[in-house]
Amino acid sequence: MNGAQHILEAFHRHHIDTVFGYPGGCIMPLYDALVDDAVVEHVLCRHEQACALAADGYARASGKTGVCIATSGPGATNLITGVANAHRDSVPMVVITGQVPSALIGTDAFQETDMLGMALGIVKHSYLVEQADELPGILEQAFHLASEGRPGPVWIDIPKDILLAEVIARPAVQEVETGNEDVDVSKVMAMLKASQRPLLYSGGGISLAHAEEAFRAFTETSGLPGVTTLKGLGNAGKRAPNDLGMLGMHGSRAANRAVAECDLLLVIGARLDDRATGKLEAFAPNARTIHIDADAAEFNKLRPADLTLKGDLTTILRALTGEVETSPLAISHWQQTCGQWHTTGGFHAADNDDPYAPIHGPAFIRQLSRIAPDDTVIACDVGQHQMWVAQYYDFDHPRHHLTSGGLGTMGFGLPAAIGAQFADRDSMVINVTGDGSFMMNAQELATIRRYQLPVKIIILDNQCLGMVRQQQELFYNNRESQIDLDDNPDFLTMAKAFGIHALHINRSDQVRRGIETLLAYRGPMLLHVAIAREENVWPIVKPGAGNTDMIDETHRPRRNKEHVA
Amino acid sequence: MNPQPKAASYQIHCRMTPEAAALERLCQVARVRGFRITRMAMEQVGNSLDIALTLEGTRPIGMLQSQLEKLQTVVGVTLADQEQPLAANQEYRVTAS
Repeated sequence: MNGAQHILEAFHRHHIDTVFGYPGGCIMPLYDALVDDAVVEHVLCRHEQACALAADGYARASGKTGVCIATSGPGATNLITGVANAHRDSVPMVVITGQVPSALIGTDAFQETDMLGMALGIVKHSYLVEQADELPGILEQAFHLASEGRPGPVWIDIPKDILLAEVIARPAVQEVETGNEDVDVSKVMAMLKASQRPLLYSGGGISLAHAEEAFRAFTETSGLPGVTTLKGLGNAGKRAPNDLGMLGMHGSRAANRAVAECDLLLVIGARLDDRATGKLEAFAPNARTIHIDADAAEFNKLRPADLTLKGDLTTILRALTGEVETSPLAISHWQQTCGQWHTTGGFHAADNDDPYAPIHGPAFIRQLSRIAPDDTVIACDVGQHQMWVAQYYDFDHPRHHLTSGGLGTMGFGLPAAIGAQFADRDSMVINVTGDGSFMMNAQELATIRRYQLPVKIIILDNQCLGMVRQQQELFYNNRESQIDLDDNPDFLTMAKAFGIHALHINRSDQVRRGIETLLAYRGPMLLHVAIAREENVWPIVKPGAGNTDMIDETHRPRRNKEHVA
Repeated sequence: MNPQPKAASYQIHCRMTPEAAALERLCQVARVRGFRITRMAMEQVGNSLDIALTLEGTRPIGMLQSQLEKLQTVVGVTLADQEQPLAANQEYRVTAS
């Protein structure tokens, strides 16, 4: 068995049946081996960046490890943005790249790049395979590392001669931790019992740890009011009575107020990033902090914690649930207060009664949320539409919301939707995108066509880079610079060129019919939604300011442009 | 302009497995997490790399230690207990460990 066949054997052993890749010179032995493989479906994307982002979307939607493959040189460097995206959001991924033959490494050979060196900062770990007999063990380690503890991408760079070499060694089987250890939560409980205004702050770590059920049991049993990060949306489910939604820069007034007023912050599976906390000195100023996470390096990184607990989140949450079951928290007054704040300071997008009014982005997303089935997967891109989805779409599960949280990768949405559709061919998957983001990976329409994926695409088209325009308006004296996209292609014609049905809407009275038509269509479809250029995401916290200093439409400056570049 | 926080000097010892790019990983994490390496000594002992680093930075050294401990090639990190705050404009001289 040669090195390439060992890779396929590792895929089989780890139940990898779908991989995303693009062939080329140094990875050709693996593609040759794929010809004879009946188990692994190889998805040919049209750009390596999309391969990595599709593997990311596949992993997020399925909870399994995503795999992407590329050749050396430009193939490998094109993966980098997608791998960095997975790294920043702790997505389990194994990256396999061909490298020039061992004897040519370091000679500036054709399509040679030092991927081990180049990728150091964007991987959980990486390998350059130097001896053929190391390959089976490295593959085993890589799949283990990618998903254990805090997940992340693991990159294996394999010289072509090793892919072709006969490999006799067998992999050592990795020990798998069961996560059933006893955990002492008595100190957590003591702080919770002593608190008058405890607040739960959860993030993407809940679903990364597959702890969704344990989290819901804890929130329901404890009755703790909760806020979530962008990646934690859906943790509590769409009908959770004490969920205040997203906090932070574009969070709700209710969520940010609860953080400001709480006396205990119970942080679970979150890393207190700057978009969530705003100015750290002003964040939860009256609160003691308990931080629970799988990664001890997150403790005290940005805010000192009064108590930390590292471990398997399911185990910890189950232990906490058992404790609050026998000794309930007396927080009814605090629950009512948070509930009132949620009523008055949550996100409420009114439908426009004027049928000829332009479509309002938030109201469109609210309608989509009402009409789409509960288990719909929304793959967002990056920008205003991403924040409107976070604010106005009610997610029932965190794996239904695929968003580039840490890296903020424009172009994530379409390949991520493709990955999610491969994770479940029967599910409803919608890419909600903007006209800027869509064009960053629009070539993937060809992938949708090739595999006849029923992915739905909604472009909220404001003919500009809306989030940049908004920040230029608010923080740069309305000096617009390089944000105009009014020479966009005709997206309907573009979709049709790829054999994808498309529909255009631009009036409020077309929203419901447009969404229903999109959802009912049996194949891939694009819904082009024209929205106003001047629409903003409200509220917003100025970068570097405290979360209580939220700006809303009443603070909008006079709208005369000083300069248009 | 805000006053510059005082940089402090730290010495850490790190044991790593001698995989490709082990040292690069170590140096990169130190740099990205806000520290400057002012002295470095490395020796291969059996199947390990023993590395002594003198670092300078304004951030808590514990943060760097926990980030280094996450590296798959790092077996252990120990922090020497001396900590020498530097004046803002003081020239720092590396002392032999």
